Amino acid sequence: MSVVDDEDATLRERLTDEPGPALRVFAVVAALVAVEFGALANLVMSLPWDAVGTALPGFVQGVAATLAGVGDALAGLPTLLSRSVIDNAGYQLPSGEWEGTFMGLSPAIAWAIRVVLIYAYGFVWLLVGWWSYLVYRDNYRHANWAPVDDMVGRFRNHSWGLFGLAIIFAFVVLAVFAPALGPTTVDANIADPYLHSIEFYNEETGSVEEMYVGDANGDSQSRGQGGENVGPLSYDQYDRFHPFGTLPSGKDLFTFMAAGARVSLFIGVASLALAGGAAVVFALATAYYKGLVDLGIVITSDSIQAMPQLLVIMLASFVLSGTWLANLYNGGVVLALLFGLTGWPGLWRAVRGPALQVSEREWIDAAKSFGQRPSVTMRKHMLPYVVGYLLIYASLTLGGVIIGVAGLSFLGLGINAPTPEWGRAVSAGQPYVATPSWHISLLPGILIVIVVTGFNALGDGIRDAIDPQSDVDTGQQDQSAAAGGGA
Amino acid sequence: MIPIVFFGTTITFVILRMGPIDPAAAVIGASGDTEAYQSVRRSLGLDQPLWLQYVDYLRDLFTLQFGYSWVVNRGRPVWELIGVYAPRTIWLGFWSVMLPLFVGLPLGFYAGLNPNTLSDYVASFGGIVWRAMPNFWLAVIFVAVLTQSEQLFGFQWESWLVETNIVTPPDLSELWVPRNFLGAFKAILPAALVLGSASMGNEMRIGRTAVLETKNENYVETARAKGVPGRKIVYKHVFRNALIPLVPIITGEAFLLLGGSVLVETVFSINGLGYLFYAATINADLPLVGSLMFFFILLSVGINIVQDLLYTLIDPRVGYGGEGA
Amino acid sequence: MAADSSRPDADAGTATEAADDRLLEVENLQTVFHTERETIRAVDGISFGIAEGETLGLVGESGSGKSVTARSIMGLVDSPGELLPDSSIRFDGRELTGLSEKQYERVRGGGVAMVFQDPLSTLNPVYTVGNQIEEALSLHRGLSGMDATEKAIELLEDVGIPDAARRVSEYPHEFSGGMRQRAVIAMALACDPDLLICDEPTTALDVTIQAQILELLAELQEEHGLAILFITHDMGVIAEVCDRVAVMYAGEVVEQAPVVELFENPRHPYTRGLLRSIPSTQRGADRLETIEGEVPTPNAPATDCRFAPRCPEAFDACREVHPEPVPVAAETADEGADHSAACLLYPENETRGQAVERHTSEGETTGAGAADSGGDAR
Repeated sequence: MSVVDDEDATLRERLTDEPGPALRVFAVVAALVAVEFGALANLVMSLPWDAVGTALPGFVQGVAATLAGVGDALAGLPTLLSRSVIDNAGYQLPSGEWEGTFMGLSPAIAWAIRVVLIYAYGFVWLLVGWWSYLVYRDNYRHANWAPVDDMVGRFRNHSWGLFGLAIIFAFVVLAVFAPALGPTTVDANIADPYLHSIEFYNEETGSVEEMYVGDANGDSQSRGQGGENVGPLSYDQYDRFHPFGTLPSGKDLFTFMAAGARVSLFIGVASLALAGGAAVVFALATAYYKGLVDLGIVITSDSIQAMPQLLVIMLASFVLSGTWLANLYNGGVVLALLFGLTGWPGLWRAVRGPALQVSEREWIDAAKSFGQRPSVTMRKHMLPYVVGYLLIYASLTLGGVIIGVAGLSFLGLGINAPTPEWGRAVSAGQPYVATPSWHISLLPGILIVIVVTGFNALGDGIRDAIDPQSDVDTGQQDQSAAAGGGA
Repeated sequence: MIPIVFFGTTITFVILRMGPIDPAAAVIGASGDTEAYQSVRRSLGLDQPLWLQYVDYLRDLFTLQFGYSWVVNRGRPVWELIGVYAPRTIWLGFWSVMLPLFVGLPLGFYAGLNPNTLSDYVASFGGIVWRAMPNFWLAVIFVAVLTQSEQLFGFQWESWLVETNIVTPPDLSELWVPRNFLGAFKAILPAALVLGSASMGNEMRIGRTAVLETKNENYVETARAKGVPGRKIVYKHVFRNALIPLVPIITGEAFLLLGGSVLVETVFSINGLGYLFYAATINADLPLVGSLMFFFILLSVGINIVQDLLYTLIDPRVGYGGEGA
Repeated sequence: MAADSSRPDADAGTATEAADDRLLEVENLQTVFHTERETIRAVDGISFGIAEGETLGLVGESGSGKSVTARSIMGLVDSPGELLPDSSIRFDGRELTGLSEKQYERVRGGGVAMVFQDPLSTLNPVYTVGNQIEEALSLHRGLSGMDATEKAIELLEDVGIPDAARRVSEYPHEFSGGMRQRAVIAMALACDPDLLICDEPTTALDVTIQAQILELLAELQEEHGLAILFITHDMGVIAEVCDRVAVMYAGEVVEQAPVVELFENPRHPYTRGLLRSIPSTQRGADRLETIEGEVPTPNAPATDCRFAPRCPEAFDACREVHPEPVPVAAETADEGADHSAACLLYPENETRGQAVERHTSEGETTGAGAADSGGDAR
């Protein structure tokens, strides 16, 4: 009777038959996107598209440039939860009132409100995601129950995994909405401080004056003992609020960290996509074909693993510095590529086990026996079993990549200025750790610990959700993940 | 084994030579003297076809002719440099493996034997956080804390017990003299703790799981049924079996130390091999870089062999096909 | 499959007289496991005894509580399981329930030893067989060094392992399945026990090996005067080795009798069903007889007959009254043979009404109204 129960009906048929619930979901999603469209467009535009651009042939480049222009314009669209609506930049009059901030609140509170609202927005997205899963499951999936339902159910009750998910959620929101979450923007405060200016109330002259951000930064440096320091959760002398304090150069640390989160997340996700994709393809191939294919990949992966990962990346990133590739994202793309290329052997080793196990099942033989194409067999019958394990190891490795990138940046071989990166903050603050300016080195480190723990927890949660009794030995992967390839 | 070493060195060669770095320019510096540049090119063999250079490269490495440093310590044989820098890294690496072994493992075993108690939670949580700590950051904090130890703890680290500096290569001469040994140990202790921190956390966690699982094995119940006293069950029956899954962890950690040592050595100014590699890299000192990488590859192969040896020592089933662990 | 009633140890006398002098006396043993959702009453008030030199068979399907009984006697039941306070296990005159772990350690091995089901996982894979036997020897016979090794070799020979001198320094994975189980028996014997509990020792072995092991056990029992508690689900094995049998169902003993008596005169409907469903007794049948249904997992004290849902002879009272073990008229020649069954159909010389009343009143005296006393033990 219902199209949904008809096994042969495609998803589209099922959707058209009962569009109600799906339309509701789409409506809400559309509303959410519209509200923050500018911010999301900004995120998209912040990716290093130049890489793609320069690789295209000439005539297409013109089109690409136009697209880029459109994208930038879209990114400039006003959004609801942005600095223009809830502003935290202002100055304080002698009377104690604040001018220029959102509803006359102090910058700290205005900033806090904006942060809370953005996180609430992100949380709404989570809920919508959950809701759409439920809608799909109840209305459009023809199977009443699938193994994924059990996994989701187990994950929901796994407090440690949920804890990890919460941390990762916070991290992702920080990265996605970095421009809006910081008290000021990277452009204004870090990249081009002399192209932007702020207003402040000069007590001596009793009037509102303007000065370059760069000059203001110069007066807000944190250099430990002997005077200047702008610590966490404090204002500098120009009434600018600094949730994390400032760097030795006077730039705002929180803005730096938020932008750094973006880079770290980008490199983490990109490198793992590359490594994970390669690992899965190779694992399926070796499990299906075995023999020579297996031998070849084993030798390759062992050779790559025989070289200390961090050292190889150091070497390669140095060798490539100065090339156009290295300028993308100030080294971000290079690092993503390198971590991916050196990281796939570990992931492959990890998912090779499950892939081999599933290749021994009878239905693989059955598929082969009636002439099923290898690629289809691998995709339909083997891939679903491998994906879960890949997720586990990927989330465990992500933490290691973040630590590795930070370590490289610490040495100066990772992400170069002016793109922010957490490791550089640690390095900048190194001389001041035992002084009142301890925040410069300590806060980035603490954040790394939290984020990596979050990824580890998430990986643990996924592992228990997928197979609570499994013997999945994440030991080898854990250690390389935790040690960040040595960092 | 051989193909791996071969392959690894090939990859290194590719990275070194295919990159845009011009070795001759690195040697010359920015002086721009064309004649000198050309003569350097000739002397380095760079005017020969690439494949010939590749063959030479391989031949040299496999016959352990590591050549001379070009930039970092111009003219000095690489072997000599390794000889000077390696002992410090070995000392650091040794303790970085031992400390987690003697601190992390026992903690993990203890947690596994007493699961779900307060001490278990504390230890496990500590292990989790420790695992996530970037070691360069930890190094920075340690250095700062130790330098300020007088203000913070009331005693000065540097002059405590034996006089050592915090940020300096350890003095490894005449280790058999107790005072020297203690000094060298104390000097390397913070660095080893930092470098071993991730290992410690990991071994704790895995050790705990290993003990938990071993405790529930049938042969443990049998031993109890025989009337074997509790302590003996733990020390004899549980521990050895729990060690089996830990072998690859421990050796794997040892290998990872190679990479991580760079950061720690830099912060603590221990001029070891990791630091040497870093210096060689940023100065484009190709012979040094290539030789060191080759050395590291040999080390990693060696560690694998050690791992296999350990397996056969601990687990008599190894080598008997089918009936493995 | 005829029971071997000519065994010298099957003295009818030992079973009836002076029950208090029996080597092992289990009374009202209740072992429960506390899970998040419920409390599982794995063993729910069973009583039996074993005399010296006797072999008692404990038979039942999976989930009937046999293994838990064995482990309860050995004191190997750990949290979340526990023995309820009313339980009593008297070994050699000594009460075992309530002993501390250290005190129990002294009973285990030397007093009661146990042979487990899967010999491969029962032996520690990283130590030689000799090492593990010598461990027992050092604990219970005070032997060490060369003496211990010699004795270990002797034991291996006793259990029929050829080339014992070489075998003693080999590892468990180098033994075949049957030899492993022999080695495990040797290890148990090394403890010099008075009572040997065998928990399905032959289930994991081939049939031919099974026969050899059973023979071995019989020999050893004769030689050493062992009492044996033999746990199995295989009625054929019971017939071979046991003097007396206790049939367990869902945590309770539903029938107890000497072996010949049980096979020739099964009283409880469950026992009858078990015996009927042995395939070899059904030659020429079109369909194999089975007992419909599954063994329930008891999570509440018994207030009725747990077998009633599957019982072909159940009547109304079966769902309201808990049957207690009552004596049943024996048919075989052994007078005074102790045959009891926990079924409302018995004693058969009473009317239904009288029988039901008897069960009810017996239930109250033994505290089968466990709903009031032990049932709420958390």
